[in-house]
Amino acid sequence: MTESRPPASEAPDDPPPFLGSWRRVYTAVFFYLVAVIAALYVFTRALRP
Amino acid sequence: MTPLDWIVLFGTLAAIVSYGLYRSRGSNTVDRYLLAGKTMPWYAMALSIMATQASAITFISTTGQAYVDGMRFVQFYFGLPLAMIIISATAVPIFHRANVYTAYEYLEKRFDSKTRALVSAIFLIQRGLSVGVALAAPAIVMSVILGWPARLTTIVVGCVVVTYTVLGGIKAITWTDVQQMGIVFLGLLAALVTAVWLLPRGVSFFDAVSLAGVAGRLNAVDLHFDLKNRYNIWSGLIGGTFLFLSYFGTDQSQVQRYLTGKSIAQSRLGLLFNAVAKVPMQCLILFTGAMVFVFFIYERPPLVFQQIELQKARSDAGYPQVESHFQSAFEHRREAATRFSEARRAGDSALRAQSAAEYHAAQKELDAARTDAARLVEKASGTSGFNDTNYIFLTFVTRYLPAGIVGLVIAVILSAAMSSISGEVNSLATVSVIDVYRRHVRRQATDRHYLWASRVATAFWGCYAVVFADYARNLGSLIEAVNIVGSLFYGGMLGVFVLAFLFPRVRGTAAFWGVLAGEASIFYAHFRTDISFLWYNVVGCVVVVIVGWLLSAAIRTRAQGLAAES
Repeated sequence: MTESRPPASEAPDDPPPFLGSWRRVYTAVFFYLVAVIAALYVFTRALRP
Repeated sequence: MTPLDWIVLFGTLAAIVSYGLYRSRGSNTVDRYLLAGKTMPWYAMALSIMATQASAITFISTTGQAYVDGMRFVQFYFGLPLAMIIISATAVPIFHRANVYTAYEYLEKRFDSKTRALVSAIFLIQRGLSVGVALAAPAIVMSVILGWPARLTTIVVGCVVVTYTVLGGIKAITWTDVQQMGIVFLGLLAALVTAVWLLPRGVSFFDAVSLAGVAGRLNAVDLHFDLKNRYNIWSGLIGGTFLFLSYFGTDQSQVQRYLTGKSIAQSRLGLLFNAVAKVPMQCLILFTGAMVFVFFIYERPPLVFQQIELQKARSDAGYPQVESHFQSAFEHRREAATRFSEARRAGDSALRAQSAAEYHAAQKELDAARTDAARLVEKASGTSGFNDTNYIFLTFVTRYLPAGIVGLVIAVILSAAMSSISGEVNSLATVSVIDVYRRHVRRQATDRHYLWASRVATAFWGCYAVVFADYARNLGSLIEAVNIVGSLFYGGMLGVFVLAFLFPRVRGTAAFWGVLAGEASIFYAHFRTDISFLWYNVVGCVVVVIVGWLLSAAIRTRAQGLAAES
């Protein structure tokens, strides 16, 4: 075994299995986060001391 | 623990470890031992990433944190989905195409050997410190439940983890992690349902939620910006994003998980699953802690949750007075809580406000009694900074959960501990062999030799973790301790990868000095300012990038000047 592994491979950048492109998947995850934070904020406001 | 609990506990753990070892057959080359031959599907990676991050500390300490401080700790994780998106778009394809075993191997390809050596050393120091903290948590569990000496417990748990990690490599770790996460979800749900189920007759789930709210335990989001406040939405979104970028993008214990992926797409899916699942999972854990708090409004909690320490304070002349103060404060709080629930159900807002005020006054009295008790414990044991946060959830589990569920929850805690420790030990061994031994000690040897070296390094780091765990047990809230240790080093590590990915003109020497400057700024912030630790990652990363970029520009200008002169 030598110091380096085989030369850098050209690993293919496959599309995601849903939503068509990775950009759309990232956007969906971002808006999901916004929705979760908004829900937790409403939860906090509704039940604050 | 009943015999049924022991059967559930040992049956669950034996099944998990056996299955992991069975799935790891054929890990007989370095590539298969350290990277599973890049064959792992996304769901296995996703659960392994989650399992490595969710240690026993997550369950012991986070539930306790919710009990004493509410749910605001969840904001710490708000930056995680953002970090996952950025890493999926940038680091994942770069690491996959660089065909490396470690993230730091990539740094030599991009910069030079000294930058790789420096960042590898930083990783070994910080991960070496936190692996001890991760191993200390299950020792606390077993010392409370079995009364075993914590040191013996640390050695036993450490030996089990080291055995399957040494034998099966990353494949055993990953498949064990998958099973462990299944048990974790099951155990968590069981603990939450039981906490609500055990509330007195007449106290509904909605009463419990309302009481947790009035007690300030459901404070999930705080919009107020304050650099000194550890947990608010801004420290979570900005500081948390930088912390998780560092953790998932530069920490070998995580990078190694997604380097085992079959493809770039599989690795991305593994990370994005975590982006979606992590915040709800933390909410579930914290909410369980909040429900345990409500349970102890009706059921008298111990004066101090760490019973062994409390025994030492019982002989103090002031103890009976503190105990009596605590008892009367507990009764006042329970009465106020009952009145609050009745007012809520009757829709009487005036009575509700009055009973809430009475509740807060009683809670203040209760907190004062607990503070006095902590002082007695400190006086009796001759120590300072007494903290029993890590014992709250364990006290609830062992005293109140039904037979079988206790064994399951203890299996959850030990599973979580073993999954994170195995991942950390494996990554420490990988960096030691690939970035240190193979790079600086023995550059040309057979695959069999490096496989042997990887197993020896794994065993070494396992032993190191056992020794360091002995010290880590006295660090107070372990979840905060592990995050603070990480934050002292992550900013510098993230900064050098930002330079590598986004600043193509910056070269090795500038990056090297940039990292040193970044680390110096973090230690200055820690020891000389009141800035909350989540901001260390931002400070360190920004300093590395600015110093690295400026130095690189200065080196280029000087080289151009010399070239012009000649």
